[in-house]
Amino acid sequence: MKFDCIIIGGGISGLTAGIRCVKEGLHTAIISSGMSALHFSSGSIDVLGYINNKVVYKPFEALDTLTGTIAQHPYAKCGKALIVEALQFFKQECETQNVYLFDNENLNHFHVTALGTLKPTYFSQRSVFNEDVYNRFKSMKKIVIVNFEGYRDFHPQLAAAQLSKHALFANCEIIAKSIDMPQLQDLTRHPHEYRSIDIARIFENEENVYRIADAIRLAAEGADFVVIPAFMGIHNFNQIHNILQSRTRLLIYEIPTLPPSILGLRIDNALKSRFAQLGGVYIAGDKVVRAESSNDVVQAVYTANHPENPLVAKFYILSTGSFFSGGMISEFNNMYEPVFKLKLHYEPERNKWYSPQFFYSNSHPFLEYGVVTDENLRPYDSKNNIIQNVYCSGAILAHYNPIREGCGSGVAISTAYKAANQIISLYKLMR
Amino acid sequence: MIKLENISFDHCIKCTVCTIYCPVARVTHLYPGPKQSGPDTERLRIKNPQLLDISLKYCSNCKRCEIACPSDVKIADIIQTAKWRYSKKEFRIRDFMLSRTDLMGTFGTIFSPIVNFFTHLRIVKYFLDLVFQIPKGRTFPNYASMTFRKWFKEARKYQNKYLEKVVYFHGCYVNYNYPQLGKDVVKVLNALGKGVIITKEKCCGVPLIANGYIKKAQSHGRHNIGVLSRALPHEQARIVSASSSCSLALKHEYPNLLELDNTSIANNIAYITQYVLEEFEKGNIPNLKPLKYTVAYHSPCHLERMGNVAFTIELLRKIPGLTVKILHSECCGISGTYGFKNEYYAISQAVGSELFKIIEEANPDFVVTDCETCKWQIEMNTKYTVVHPISLLAEAIE
Repeated sequence: MKFDCIIIGGGISGLTAGIRCVKEGLHTAIISSGMSALHFSSGSIDVLGYINNKVVYKPFEALDTLTGTIAQHPYAKCGKALIVEALQFFKQECETQNVYLFDNENLNHFHVTALGTLKPTYFSQRSVFNEDVYNRFKSMKKIVIVNFEGYRDFHPQLAAAQLSKHALFANCEIIAKSIDMPQLQDLTRHPHEYRSIDIARIFENEENVYRIADAIRLAAEGADFVVIPAFMGIHNFNQIHNILQSRTRLLIYEIPTLPPSILGLRIDNALKSRFAQLGGVYIAGDKVVRAESSNDVVQAVYTANHPENPLVAKFYILSTGSFFSGGMISEFNNMYEPVFKLKLHYEPERNKWYSPQFFYSNSHPFLEYGVVTDENLRPYDSKNNIIQNVYCSGAILAHYNPIREGCGSGVAISTAYKAANQIISLYKLMR
Repeated sequence: MIKLENISFDHCIKCTVCTIYCPVARVTHLYPGPKQSGPDTERLRIKNPQLLDISLKYCSNCKRCEIACPSDVKIADIIQTAKWRYSKKEFRIRDFMLSRTDLMGTFGTIFSPIVNFFTHLRIVKYFLDLVFQIPKGRTFPNYASMTFRKWFKEARKYQNKYLEKVVYFHGCYVNYNYPQLGKDVVKVLNALGKGVIITKEKCCGVPLIANGYIKKAQSHGRHNIGVLSRALPHEQARIVSASSSCSLALKHEYPNLLELDNTSIANNIAYITQYVLEEFEKGNIPNLKPLKYTVAYHSPCHLERMGNVAFTIELLRKIPGLTVKILHSECCGISGTYGFKNEYYAISQAVGSELFKIIEEANPDFVVTDCETCKWQIEMNTKYTVVHPISLLAEAIE
């Protein structure tokens, strides 16, 4: 098959690049092996959360400090103007699929984690953070954290205990409650087997939403603010949120759960539908196993399902992610990038890959390992030559630490946007 | 002894992503989902087969879990193998009949007017429901009065004028129920300048696997690998099939599930749209007249698992005048013989309801899909006719 652009990797970065390319008229395919990290994510978009272990409030101001100290940082290659544009693009594309992202007017906001900590982030879905939540935050007297009886992946008491330690909630009463819904038991054989997805499906039935709303109202009497794990529906989340809030007359807020993440799933659904709607070809469940190139130009890629049939494109974007998704492979004393065998930045000595403590504040060095690129995000092959028609985006890039800097999805979106922009301008020149 | 090659369940990180995409787990809590029925309980079963949780029988083998898995666990294969390896085998005449597509086909085509008449009678449906637990709501596909093979006896005569030949695995459905699709395949291949070879094939084995007749499926598999490889005119010659499930069986189920060596044909097998698209891209495009239809394309689960959906979509987009709406990927619910059994019928219908809804919303002139059983399910549950992409292409060829 022949395309203008083939994107290897169907996560947040690959999909963003894909939407951008297909919108500009490029015949675009995404090849994805297995579902992406969005299914494990908070569903909020972090741009820059921390610098030197300090919380960042103004990410675009802090950006200069970051790129000033790490010259090779992907953000330095993107530039502030492009990052702003990329984020707006992402927000608008999500909106076309009714996923509305709230930003705090160029400032970071905080979302509550399942452990009851506060985490800085840039975009959140409206059920997670919105202007009402913002206005109510300071004057809150009583917060009720409500869990579903039988849902094992969230511990409201733990979240409540942690949250009450926070200075912001010093004068606030935080209570953990569980709601038992015996009338829903016919929906399940083993109530103890509830996962977020099972409960989210219960919410998808409107009749159930009314019952749940009544149960929440009883449990959360007198609360200013109700927190529930994020399972307010997979498709009709806006409507469900509205029904719950209007029927209970309470401010209801979702917090991300353990995987599968419903908040992440909504973004994944939105981006995939948008890409398909625009005419993009999404090849799921297949894996690029090798590439063919000549004179530093990739000619074709081959997949596991079709080892003999070349997939040909003028341009390629590599968005295969980091180690977990197979974008990079680590062996005992070696690391490599399996598709194009690209030049990687990493320490050869294995004992330097990780920090001795798991929760070390500077995170782990291996998170900064990845593909080395030029200013235009083009990678180098093993002979140190630039590959002319390949661009890299997202977690496969080196020289940034998504955990320490709180910038994973921001980098994924910005670099995807930058890679796509360059392909689009070259494509237009070729025509 | 634990077989070391079969430990893909060990790569499972318990992320539950497969369960999100499982159409059966979405509609019923009787099925705990692919993660639990597959990798979770596999480690118990290999220690003690008594620990089999019978709820895995609800798996319809659509294989969407394998597409979703980020860790490359062969979830559906694990479940299918466990089904026949560990569960108690009891003979059921219904399962025997449903899985013997060739036997029933031979009988059905000989007496086709009578059989077709009777299978549509309400009283017969009630009888089948009561006695054989075949749901009375299910519409049966009609049998043809003349098999595809019989028709091909005539067509075979003019295949020799083509220099290049392609082996065509037609499958039971084309032979006994819908020879027109086979005729369309021959028309398309001939229009591409290719002669058609058919072999003395047997049922690919998909319904046998689904009903636990593994030995029988293996013997069919061995037979098919033999006849197909012997029929290849040269090493690079292609074997095409217009059935997504037959193709999946030949290519994946034979080695992965039935443990058969299919290397002599594996690289030759191509699902038909892939082969035709390849020819198109070489510039071998017959004259196509515009088709002024709006169609909705539904991607069958097994075609998705083979990674072949893109080929069909690209081919459809090459037909001039055709407006193609790509439906969001949903399982139709029938899953071969699954939807022909009372115990799964309600689940099958509930799974499909999402697809039926989006078809109605798309409101096309007709629906296009690659799979025969998806066709039955969609035609039974919506007002739309379902057409194979190759039949559409055949119509466009002047």
